[in-house]
Amino acid sequence: MRASVETKRQVWAILAVALVVLGVSLGMQSAYYQLVLTQVLLWAVLSLAWNILSGYSGYFSFGHAVFWGLGAYTVALGVIYLDLPPWLGIPLGGVIGGIAGAVIGYPTFRLRGHYFALAMLAYPLATLYVFQWLGYQEISLPMKRQAPVLYMQFADPRAYVVLALGLLVIALAISLRVENSRFGMALLAIKQNEPAAEAAGIDTWRWKMRAIMLSGALAGMAGGLYAVVLLVVTPESVFGMLVSAQPLILALFGGVGSLWGPVIGAAVLVPLAEGLNGELGDVLPGIQGVVYGVAIIAIILCAPEGVYWRLRDRFTKPRPAGIASAEPAPSMPLSATAPAARLEESGELLVLRDIRISFGGLRALDGIDLIVREGSLHGIIGPNGAGKTTLFNVVNGFLTPDKGRISFGGASLAGLRPNQVCRRGIGRTFQVVRAFPRMSVLENVIVGAFVGARDHVTAERMARTALDRVGLADRAAAIAGGLTTRELRLMELARALAPLPRLLLLDETLAGLGHEDLAGILGVIRQVREEGVTVLIIEHTMQAMVQLVGEFSVLDHGRLIAGGRPEDVVRDRRVIEAYLGRRWMDRVAETAA
Amino acid sequence: MKKGPTRREFGSGLALAGAMGLGFRPALAQTKEVRVAMIAPLSGPWARQGQLMRMGADMAIEEINQKGGVRALGGAKMVLVVADAGDSTEKAKNAAQRLLAQDPDLVGGTGAWLSSFTLAVTEVTERAQLPMLTLSYSDLITGRGFKYVFQTSPTAGHQAAETLPTALKLAESATGKRPKTVGILMDNTASPTSFAKPLREGGLEKLGLKLVVDQVFTPPLSDATPLIEKVRTARPDFLLLLLSAMPDNKLVLEKLDEFKLSKGRLPLVGNGSPLGTPELKDTIGADLLEGLLFSVADWPFKGDEEIVERFKKRTGEPWMTQDGITAYGDMWILKEAAERAGAADRAKVTEALRALDLTSGPVALSFPGPVRFDENGRRVDVPMIFAQWQNGVPVTVFPPELALARPYWIKEA
Amino acid sequence: MELPPFLAEFLQALAAGVTVGGAYALMCIGLGIIFGSMRVINFAQGDFLMLGMYVAFYLTTGYGILSFLGPYGGPIVAAFLAGPVVFAAGWLVHRFIVSRVTGAGVAASEGAGAYGQIIVTLGLSLILQNGGLILFGSTPTAIRTPLSRSSWEIGPILLNQARVVSFLVAVALVVAVYLFLARTRAGKSLRAAADNSTAAIYMGIDVDRAHRIAWSLGVGITAVAGGLLAGSQSFQPYVGFDFVIVMYAGVVLGGLGSILGAFWGGLLIGVVQQMSTLVLPYQLQNTAIFVVFLLIIFLRPQGLFGQITERT
Repeated sequence: MRASVETKRQVWAILAVALVVLGVSLGMQSAYYQLVLTQVLLWAVLSLAWNILSGYSGYFSFGHAVFWGLGAYTVALGVIYLDLPPWLGIPLGGVIGGIAGAVIGYPTFRLRGHYFALAMLAYPLATLYVFQWLGYQEISLPMKRQAPVLYMQFADPRAYVVLALGLLVIALAISLRVENSRFGMALLAIKQNEPAAEAAGIDTWRWKMRAIMLSGALAGMAGGLYAVVLLVVTPESVFGMLVSAQPLILALFGGVGSLWGPVIGAAVLVPLAEGLNGELGDVLPGIQGVVYGVAIIAIILCAPEGVYWRLRDRFTKPRPAGIASAEPAPSMPLSATAPAARLEESGELLVLRDIRISFGGLRALDGIDLIVREGSLHGIIGPNGAGKTTLFNVVNGFLTPDKGRISFGGASLAGLRPNQVCRRGIGRTFQVVRAFPRMSVLENVIVGAFVGARDHVTAERMARTALDRVGLADRAAAIAGGLTTRELRLMELARALAPLPRLLLLDETLAGLGHEDLAGILGVIRQVREEGVTVLIIEHTMQAMVQLVGEFSVLDHGRLIAGGRPEDVVRDRRVIEAYLGRRWMDRVAETAA
Repeated sequence: MKKGPTRREFGSGLALAGAMGLGFRPALAQTKEVRVAMIAPLSGPWARQGQLMRMGADMAIEEINQKGGVRALGGAKMVLVVADAGDSTEKAKNAAQRLLAQDPDLVGGTGAWLSSFTLAVTEVTERAQLPMLTLSYSDLITGRGFKYVFQTSPTAGHQAAETLPTALKLAESATGKRPKTVGILMDNTASPTSFAKPLREGGLEKLGLKLVVDQVFTPPLSDATPLIEKVRTARPDFLLLLLSAMPDNKLVLEKLDEFKLSKGRLPLVGNGSPLGTPELKDTIGADLLEGLLFSVADWPFKGDEEIVERFKKRTGEPWMTQDGITAYGDMWILKEAAERAGAADRAKVTEALRALDLTSGPVALSFPGPVRFDENGRRVDVPMIFAQWQNGVPVTVFPPELALARPYWIKEA
Repeated sequence: MELPPFLAEFLQALAAGVTVGGAYALMCIGLGIIFGSMRVINFAQGDFLMLGMYVAFYLTTGYGILSFLGPYGGPIVAAFLAGPVVFAAGWLVHRFIVSRVTGAGVAASEGAGAYGQIIVTLGLSLILQNGGLILFGSTPTAIRTPLSRSSWEIGPILLNQARVVSFLVAVALVVAVYLFLARTRAGKSLRAAADNSTAAIYMGIDVDRAHRIAWSLGVGITAVAGGLLAGSQSFQPYVGFDFVIVMYAGVVLGGLGSILGAFWGGLLIGVVQQMSTLVLPYQLQNTAIFVVFLLIIFLRPQGLFGQITERT
């Protein structure tokens, strides 16, 4: 997927780190240092697990302790009541963590941003009280003198380091795999712009669920090993708020959304805290907490995104976040990919019948009947608030109409999610450009191409083709955050085109463009249509529209008040009254005359 | 990999490796010091308890050294090394591990107040074969089959078996009637849970008591109103208070007053040292506490007056509580064990501890009953101490030979 | 009046819930102002509550500065005074630390501000708790006032005086804050900044200053709640933790960005907490809060009074 060079480098790095840790552990004599090292590794794993969900996707979880705690109790209760060796208990903890991820994710992913984070906060704390109520406020793993190795009760503390290291390597490998695959790209797209990702065909729901299940499973296993190391499990120590905060702090400190951030965070902060406890704890109780608090504040002020990103920005050339291959793949010849160009307007492609939707008391769409013919360039115009974007959102699947039917190519679109609508062959741009600002132009478009492509190579080819089509091929490597308005619009267009849709929904693509830029984009749209893509475009400005479209619909207060060819529509009395005004009519009369 | 070294080998191997690895001076034939550890919470929500323990221990160490140190070892001074168990089991375990790694000469220790911390700490000390004394009540601590843990407090189960009959006798002799109904109000931490379990499983029935209200809450308590409302509705003959944190005590006792159930209208019998703290008096006042009877593992009793005076002068505390006196006593126990062991050696000290049977001296003054441990590390033949708030000070009132005042069953005025 | 036991218990629990909820409501308002205006999850809010408790304590039982007001008036006035003291502390904290990771300038850069906020407030929390341990010591303390164990009686129902006072103060402060936000210039600029900080800047509103006011006001009000609680219960420097989740549950329940919502949310949390004991084991009191919290988040994420603002 990713350039194998980059991946190989990371793999070597992981192995190197593992060897270093082993070396350090073998060299150290003190059981205390071994214990701290084990804790560093375990918290790093939890932080990596957290990172998989929250670092990559932006869905901040303040409640990862729930997975950790469930894993810990699984192992502990397993040993105590079932004589279950932790060798089985820990993977079982992972399974339970994964299931918990699914159970929690299912309802909670309906929320966004702060709400999601706060909801996650509640889960471990609620579970804490339940475990106390169940009578498990203090359980300790019994000493198994007859079969210590079976129960992971090693005399040599290095054994725990090795186990924790193994878990860390697994966590790093999983994170690397996620980063380099479609999984990571989807999460990144979700993080940067979820509706756009959805409209571009990414099944955001499925990817988020996968992320939380994977995250939960890893965290559960780490928690299970933690129980083995600590030998005493209390609800507070595994479900408490400090446990939920720890992976966050480590990842944010070390560099959120990166492979090494959590590891850096754990390697620095865990020994720091422990060292402070040891040195200052009995001297002036409490001072260690103050120093630690000051330290993390100071560092985050210097490096708000974490140490890793700061160092990377400092020492390497800025590269776009995300995935891009080293050599550009050739774009596909147009003839091989463009659908048979059907220039004559033929069958009905998109049919809307009696679409109605209300928000509270406001009737946003009040019985819309619309037919868009295949191969046509159809415009929708109307004053602000007429319901144009709402109409698109309904077609796209972001909104469900209260009444009415939509069919596309003969098949109903009812109940489909936006990413499924996209897969049917409907592409969309948004009124406010929804770019993925930290990715390159090419990567932005690849996100769209993934819908139609099975693998990264194909997706990239399709993306480059799309960029050619809109004339943005020379800007492929530029970072999207730095583009001009015109370029952004073209990029969005390319992203929508990459999966070769049959129908393109353009939402005010021309708005705010100067004269020259306008002409350029109009040309692109016309070209696209000539290649056989049906275009439905929302616009404000009459001048641009009349030059562009072959057919018109006028929307006012949720109703279509006129439709037909441009010449006819502009003369329509109702349209003039509602929208154009007398002066327009005069001007039209002048030009016609 | 072979099965692994025995714990003994591991322990001494570790100590040696640690010593050499950290460049510590090797043990001399004639030791100048007997080093003991205290692992207790000094920061975090339980900091107060750890500090009280430390105060008691410091005083004992000073006295021991003033009186000539450990004579069997040529007057070797006792040195106390303190580590902060913090606010989590992880920190407590780390503290224990750190102490052991950095101080291989330790021969014994005490800790860690909170039973979950004690559990975690003793997992470390057991494997390092360091004998540990603890005041924690939980049955589990000495129920794990460990060889190096010595619990100076009777287990909560034992305390339950002792507390109620004594309370009932007191009630009967004061009022002429034996109580028939009882209520339990407790938090769900380990000690109260261990205390109440045998009671609920037939212990109360055996005493002819019917449980009419039984409420368990998760600390910290937010408000005691619904709890006390239930108590008021059930109107037991007396109420068993098993609360392990002072804030909950304040809420419950004040709410009882608010509901006009205080001052004898509802006799209270408690368990645990948080019921006797100076801060309780500071926050709710002596009048509400008057007559409150509670059983506790250890409390200054007859003969301790001088120790208590010294403690008060030294620390400014108004009286000595369980935490102070047990920590004081622990240091003396370790000193005695070192004397009998004849060497600053963990194994020998452990043997000496197991063979201890002290009925006089500072150790006997610090703990009720003979200081003797069974093979599980539990003390045997421990009389249950009862203390009662009288005139603003909780004083030992039972058993009679240890009492500093006479108990009374509080009656409605 | 003799009531059947269940009814007596029911009404008593309800009374307890409402009066306890008064203090919760006040804390929630403080948090609500911060969360609503700045969209910051302040993990240190509970520790500012703790600061308020200690300020009130030192003003009365501690140093006896207000003892001339007697054991009834003193604690109430002390609670009020805790507000401005913590307001000032909050002002400094925001000026030098918090503003570096929050506010309009930061919101522009993707995500950076959000991460910084979390760590900064967590760090603040650590500093306040442990600094508190060093300054105030570990012994649990409380304000001595007969209010905490006296009650007014309505039939068999007892209304704890200290709690009722908190409730009344909470109501009074809600009204005051509401008027502040609705009528004063500073208040309006706060609301504008909350609604759309970018636009507010263009309108000439000093968003940074508006946020500073919001932050300081938020922690100050929560501190007053702390001062009121200090008369009812004992506390130590780590007590803040116990209240953080109550505050967040209340604010989300009531609806982000709504002061009235925060008030009702806090009140409702108090009621749920106390009345859950009628049907659930006492130990699951707080689980009941979380369950309600989660239900509200799922069924009506905007809470009772909030508005949904996300648009496609």
